[in-house]
Amino acid sequence: MQELVLNQPVSTARSELVREAAQADARREFEERLAECGPLAFRVARGVLRNTADAEDVAQEALLRAYKSFHRLRDRSRFRGWLVRISFRVALDRLRSAKRREQRDTLWAKPEHLPPVASAEEIAASKQFQGHLDRALEELPEKLRLVLLLSAMDGYTIEEISSMMGVPLGTVKSRIFIARKKLAEKLRCHANTIKMR
Amino acid sequence: MPCEHYKDALIEVAASGATPSGELYAHLDACTSCRDAFVEEQTLFAAIDSGLHTAANTEVPVSLLPRVRARLDEAITTQRHWIQPLGFASAGVALAFLLLLIVRPHGNVPNNVPKQTPAAPTPMAPAAGTHIEISPSSIQVASTTPNLLHTPRTSTVKHSAASSHPEILVPPDEREGLAQLVAMLNQHKDFAAAFLAPRPEKKDALVTVDPLLISDLEIKPLEGTETETSDGTGERH
Ligand SMILES: [Zn+2]
Repeated sequence: MQELVLNQPVSTARSELVREAAQADARREFEERLAECGPLAFRVARGVLRNTADAEDVAQEALLRAYKSFHRLRDRSRFRGWLVRISFRVALDRLRSAKRREQRDTLWAKPEHLPPVASAEEIAASKQFQGHLDRALEELPEKLRLVLLLSAMDGYTIEEISSMMGVPLGTVKSRIFIARKKLAEKLRCHANTIKMR
Repeated sequence: MPCEHYKDALIEVAASGATPSGELYAHLDACTSCRDAFVEEQTLFAAIDSGLHTAANTEVPVSLLPRVRARLDEAITTQRHWIQPLGFASAGVALAFLLLLIVRPHGNVPNNVPKQTPAAPTPMAPAAGTHIEISPSSIQVASTTPNLLHTPRTSTVKHSAASSHPEILVPPDEREGLAQLVAMLNQHKDFAAAFLAPRPEKKDALVTVDPLLISDLEIKPLEGTETETSDGTGERH
């Protein structure tokens, strides 16, 4: 009499258990980062898309992608920077495909229609200026744009941005400086048409 | 319009947020148009920073994290739905394959083949005249060794009550694949022995792993030869 050895179903069940345990661990680890990094992903996306609903979609997409590739991220301390890049990339893709879909009317072309406003806050708050700023931001090189966005966010110091992006502190500072100057070049003519008190 | 000579300098200073000093300070003190231009630049940079700050610090929708969690759960569930049937299907096919290999004729298997199968202390005697039938409702495996198949809990193997032949039950969606496999195996009969893993009978035992049997090693130094030491260096005897 012989007994048939059936290893396959048991090893399948075992590997299934191992896989599920690993998945639960990854989920727990990801969950720990979600509360802090979810808003960051959203704000990066919002900075690119300037639309809350779209940014929320993109943040979700980015977080989901990050989760799916989480096992590939060996150095987990790099998670924030990694997620920021994913969010930025997904947001840019979304923006480009949205642009292809619709030819947006540009506020860019008609500075003479701007109502006169006085202070920097008022200029910044005016829809026209915000439109120009959005446009100017879009035209910035990606490296400058991402660092500038991060530097504008509450809660991240230049040092944190430097470690998040994996670039030297001096590079972060110079990117911010160059980015702001480039924005100013594009916005100067529009700001000048806004009669300042 | 600012003076051309000071234009870049005053933009640099406004961009950096620093206070003008030295020559520029002196010029701004004296030149009204440069002073106005400097104030405009400062206002412009302040507006840019303010606009960026507003854009970058939009309130995060409260729905964001719950929706992300829901999508993560969904992704995990979807993954399971894919992986589980795949696992069961492959396990089923492997099981059917093993069973077919066990009951196939061994008459034409070369003598050295059973030696390659792991842990086969009592190689199964091949049975001549073994044949395989596939019926529409079940896979019938007919063998001249009726007690060959013991039924572990994880197995789908059952002895048919109506027949002296053991019967393999497979899910309907695997029946066709198994039929193709049987046809293929009937054409290539020498696949069998390499996959066989017969073992001594253990009644009602679930799947167990027998300890590896290694006969006692006798270590004898060879006279006049070099043996390898643990650190890899040679040692002469
Ligand atoms: Zn001057």
